[in-house]
Amino acid sequence: MGPPPTLPTSHSFSSPSPKTLQETKTPFEIRFALLSSLSIQNHGMRHLKGEIGVVSKADGSALFEMGNTRVIAAVYGPKEIQNKGQQMNNNEALVRCEYSMANFSTGDRTRRPKGDRRSTEISLVIRQTMEACILTKLMPRSQIDIFVQVLQADGGTRSACINAATLALADAGVPMRDIITSCSAGYLCTTPLLDLNYAEDSAGGPDVTVGILAKMDKVTLLQMDAKLPLDTFENVMQLAIEGCKAVAQYIREILLENTKQLESRRGS
Amino acid sequence: MAASTYSPSQGAERRQRQQQMRRLSIQSDWDRSDGRSFIQCRPAFLRTGAANAASGSAYAEFGTTKVIVSVFGPRESKKAMMYSDIGRLNCNVTFTTFATSLRGQGSDNKEYSAMLHKALEGAVILETFPKTTVDVFALVLESGGSDLPVIISCASLALADAGIMMYDLVSSVSVSCIGKNILIDPTNEEEVCQDGSLVLACMPARNEVTQLTLTGEWSLPKINEAMELCMDACLKLAGIMRSCLKESANLSN
Amino acid sequence: MVGLSEGEKQFLRGGIEQDLRSDGRTRHQFRSVYVETGVIPQANGSARVRLGATEVIASIKAELGKPSLLHPDKGKVSIFVDCSPTAAAIYGGKGGEELSMELSVALERCLLGGKSGAGAAIDLSSLVLVEGKVCWDLYIDALVVSSDGNLLDSLAAAIKAALSNTGLPKVNVVLGASPEEQPEVDVSDEEFLQFDTSTVPAIITLTKVGKHYIVDATSEEESQMNSAVSVSVNRNGQICGLTKRGGAGLDPSVILDMVSVAKHVSQQFTSDLDSEIAAAEASDE
Repeated sequence: MGPPPTLPTSHSFSSPSPKTLQETKTPFEIRFALLSSLSIQNHGMRHLKGEIGVVSKADGSALFEMGNTRVIAAVYGPKEIQNKGQQMNNNEALVRCEYSMANFSTGDRTRRPKGDRRSTEISLVIRQTMEACILTKLMPRSQIDIFVQVLQADGGTRSACINAATLALADAGVPMRDIITSCSAGYLCTTPLLDLNYAEDSAGGPDVTVGILAKMDKVTLLQMDAKLPLDTFENVMQLAIEGCKAVAQYIREILLENTKQLESRRGS
Repeated sequence: MAASTYSPSQGAERRQRQQQMRRLSIQSDWDRSDGRSFIQCRPAFLRTGAANAASGSAYAEFGTTKVIVSVFGPRESKKAMMYSDIGRLNCNVTFTTFATSLRGQGSDNKEYSAMLHKALEGAVILETFPKTTVDVFALVLESGGSDLPVIISCASLALADAGIMMYDLVSSVSVSCIGKNILIDPTNEEEVCQDGSLVLACMPARNEVTQLTLTGEWSLPKINEAMELCMDACLKLAGIMRSCLKESANLSN
Repeated sequence: MVGLSEGEKQFLRGGIEQDLRSDGRTRHQFRSVYVETGVIPQANGSARVRLGATEVIASIKAELGKPSLLHPDKGKVSIFVDCSPTAAAIYGGKGGEELSMELSVALERCLLGGKSGAGAAIDLSSLVLVEGKVCWDLYIDALVVSSDGNLLDSLAAAIKAALSNTGLPKVNVVLGASPEEQPEVDVSDEEFLQFDTSTVPAIITLTKVGKHYIVDATSEEESQMNSAVSVSVNRNGQICGLTKRGGAGLDPSVILDMVSVAKHVSQQFTSDLDSEIAAAEASDE
């Protein structure tokens, strides 16, 4: 597998002026602004790692790492619909998704109940995003289960989950329109930042998560919290899209490598 | 007897008593607080038909441990359940808020519920009621030690009272290991300072163990000894349970 | 659920009878164990254990806490097991809760010893820093990532590996002048104390299929079981815990025989596991 791509830092970097520093309120924010202004310069995408086939019993599975964020996705299906009541439409496959976090995934140990509001929301987001690329019409009266498990959370879990789910779906051989990849970007101290980690995310700046169909160049997921001026938003979103494309490039390499390995195993 | 109210100073007092008891137990011989010998069970009081609304019920009192179990059903299984050609057993163990000396500990006990289920499922002939569910609700009125064995024995009596087909009555006995000694049917006080415990549920007539759990450090011969002791006690307890059933049948005739 | 045809069932059972199981193992042979330590950087200790296609992760997190009133001279250890839906679709939603609880309870029974602490894997009194004031609370979290049978044995092995990977920071406690005052705690981030894991027992589950018992059953083999007995055995050959699983009744003499077989098998497994853990620790550093 090739080295993970680092994004060319095409966005211009401007150091925060003393004035902006005065405007920030708490000492923590000032310190953070200073800290980040030091590290931003080379801030591209975090280290990426993908691995296919980590859960042998699943139809398709993958591990995906973005820096310290590490998730596993497993796909079961297409198979017969278990609960007929959930079947919405007779002509297409039912896609289900469940997101769960391990107790040890975060810095502070918390025992979280299954199906809290946050994980329900993320499950829904992932399901809708993946539904956009799966050719559900080809598999009527069937069901595809996608399970994502966060092993380590360090910001950008939903992006990592979507990337892992894409790999797992490809591994399972589920027909897809295109590869969906996702990446987040933020805006701190007048600088657009790609692929926020937990510390950057919790600084309170805006966080834009984008998911795109890589080849078709279409956006399927767009989420943002906090506020941004419209022209800055365009920059940040553009940055996130570039990130998505870099991820797509990497995912394609992994899939190609995997296919080559399968081929050589078959040949021998 | 345990103090009726709880305060931290008494906690310390109780701790002292425990330590004293432990010291005592290291020596080979001492008297149990209720005057029993090591291999003497508490007197068992059993009655069927304790709750009228249930299909079958039983009340058991072993020393200060008091348990009531009611059995409902067989009833239709919930629609969401998958089709099953054998019946289901649904067990639930609850403690009252006043069951233990620490108030407010009462709630569902999932661990005991699962253990009760496993102890009974091997004995109930589930094939006789397909697609249906039997509910077993156990309520511990007072916890005085060896709670789980009492719940299991009482539940199998209640199942028999409800007319659910079983291969045999399930009786259950536990032993505590303190120092070198093995104590049968331990009380709360003895359980707190035990080194290990063994809970055994069996069908005496078939000589089959349906549930066995063990904690603490044991050697193989000691397990053997404890199991033999438990099997014998279970056999005798099953005799008492059987005579209780006969008695209630005679009464209703 | 494992879907097997009549022919496959016959094949499995026949193989077990002839001491040649479908993956080529004998009845009392484990699959090869693979251990990796330090997989969760934010935990005090962690390990991933693979046994065939079964994969579990265990993490140990230590927090400073206060000993309970009843046991002022003991720290606290709690074990939580989670079955990830990635391991099997039926663990989705609330489906895995029952199994998770069963595994947690079985592990607590096998690893935490009796009420007085006899036979415990972790010496609780070693976790106390100041009696009645400060102690370590150990949280053991385990996650089943991939499941192909024999979860309990793999979980116990993962916990053992995670414990040997655990370093508790050295702590200096300065007691206040009056007993009511909160003691000052100074946690060192350089010096770590290692756990002694020689007392941690191994859990051996014997699954009874037909008349014979097998160790380390795959999920196909588990679907054919009448009943199973999980025995935890420490290095001295003492039994530290026992749980019977499966509904069917067992003859007492059969149980005793199973326990002695487990005791015998555990010696080989423990030494295999220990060398795997040592190798993983060496490559981790």
